[in-house]
Amino acid sequence: MRGPSTPLRGALLGLLLERPGHGGDLANRLAVRLGETWRVDTNDVYRLLEQLEKTGLVASRDEPKRNNNRRTHLVYYPTEQTPEALTMWMETLLPREPVRLGLQAKLSVARQQDAPRVLIALKAYERECLVLAQLVSPTDGSARSWTALCMDCTREAVSAQLEAEIVWATRTRRRINEFLERSQ
Amino acid sequence: MASLLSFLNVSKRYPDGGREVLVLDRVSLDVDAGVSVGVYGARRSGKSTLLRLAAGIALPDSGTIRFDGRDIAQMAGGERGRLLRGDMAFMCAADWRASPGETVVDHVATSLGSEGLTLREARRRAMGVLDRVEIGAAGAQEPTTSLSAAESVRVMLARALARNPRLLVLDEPALFPSLRDRDSFYAMLRTAAGERSMALLVASEEMAALKGFKVLVSIADGELVSTEAQGTVVALPGRRRAGTEWPGR
Repeated sequence: MRGPSTPLRGALLGLLLERPGHGGDLANRLAVRLGETWRVDTNDVYRLLEQLEKTGLVASRDEPKRNNNRRTHLVYYPTEQTPEALTMWMETLLPREPVRLGLQAKLSVARQQDAPRVLIALKAYERECLVLAQLVSPTDGSARSWTALCMDCTREAVSAQLEAEIVWATRTRRRINEFLERSQ
Repeated sequence: MASLLSFLNVSKRYPDGGREVLVLDRVSLDVDAGVSVGVYGARRSGKSTLLRLAAGIALPDSGTIRFDGRDIAQMAGGERGRLLRGDMAFMCAADWRASPGETVVDHVATSLGSEGLTLREARRRAMGVLDRVEIGAAGAQEPTTSLSAAESVRVMLARALARNPRLLVLDEPALFPSLRDRDSFYAMLRTAAGERSMALLVASEEMAALKGFKVLVSIADGELVSTEAQGTVVALPGRRRAGTEWPGR
């Protein structure tokens, strides 16, 4: 399965390791972690949890609802495999996944012991952005036509985006490093 | 092939109040002959330190910097000076100082003083490089004090090119009043480097300025990330371990 919800699978594991929860609770926690721009879909979360349960990475139990004892809902728990799966997800960048979203999802549930993996992933992402920036060809400084201008502005859009990504990645690395230094 | 310029595990610290700031942390970088390397980084990211070390203006605290196989830190001060007047040129746009009374052509010609040329020969060569940066015969006779910001950067480039260096180290030529000036400067730089097979090591805080560079490097927090694997290998330990499910798929 691909699409924007793929990075959320790993994030769900991170949340469950912090504490068990039912689908709606996990969806809310994800929304708080990732911020407004992600638009976490609750149905997506339920679907992802089912898939994770099939692979043995989470387990569920039917438990009575807190405010209504006659009704039950599925509460999800981590399994023995969850911590290692989370660690592996932290150190992996999928070529097909929208990389920055994946990194954001990782950061949202990263444990302090994941710092080295997150730093490596950030560096790899930075490098990927640089490689893309290399593909942006230069303009001939003497090109003065309207068409040349428009083409050049289009290329600048790519440069500007990549630049913003690199700024974010380097700043994040710096903040993590500074935090680690302080906590030593 | 050996690199023209190589950094191997180079670290540099600067005192900052009572503590020390690590500006470069064991960085490695190669600049091959004729290859353009663009260094992208924000302000205070260590770009200028990297370039000053490359030019031998500052020396590393640890690690080795070699130019043409020779350890820059082991050279005598005079030898490093000769290197900067010969095989390597260093240019920092912020360092431009006009000399009252000096014409543009003489500003370029006087930099050739150590080459044993007569003033006439030096002026002729200066006119040649000024022409390459689109400063014509009339402009060459203007006083340096009358130059615009964009023209002064071009004159600095001409001065650097006049000695036919094998490597041009260029720090942040971001003083252009317009993007058109910037783009035409970079086009001149690329053409000049291509014609002479001159290597470039250029730092900028604008990614767009570094379009067309063969190698791109970003610098932040004392570390380099490069599009070349060498020196900055970023291993992604992404192998799946047997028997463990992984939530990414």
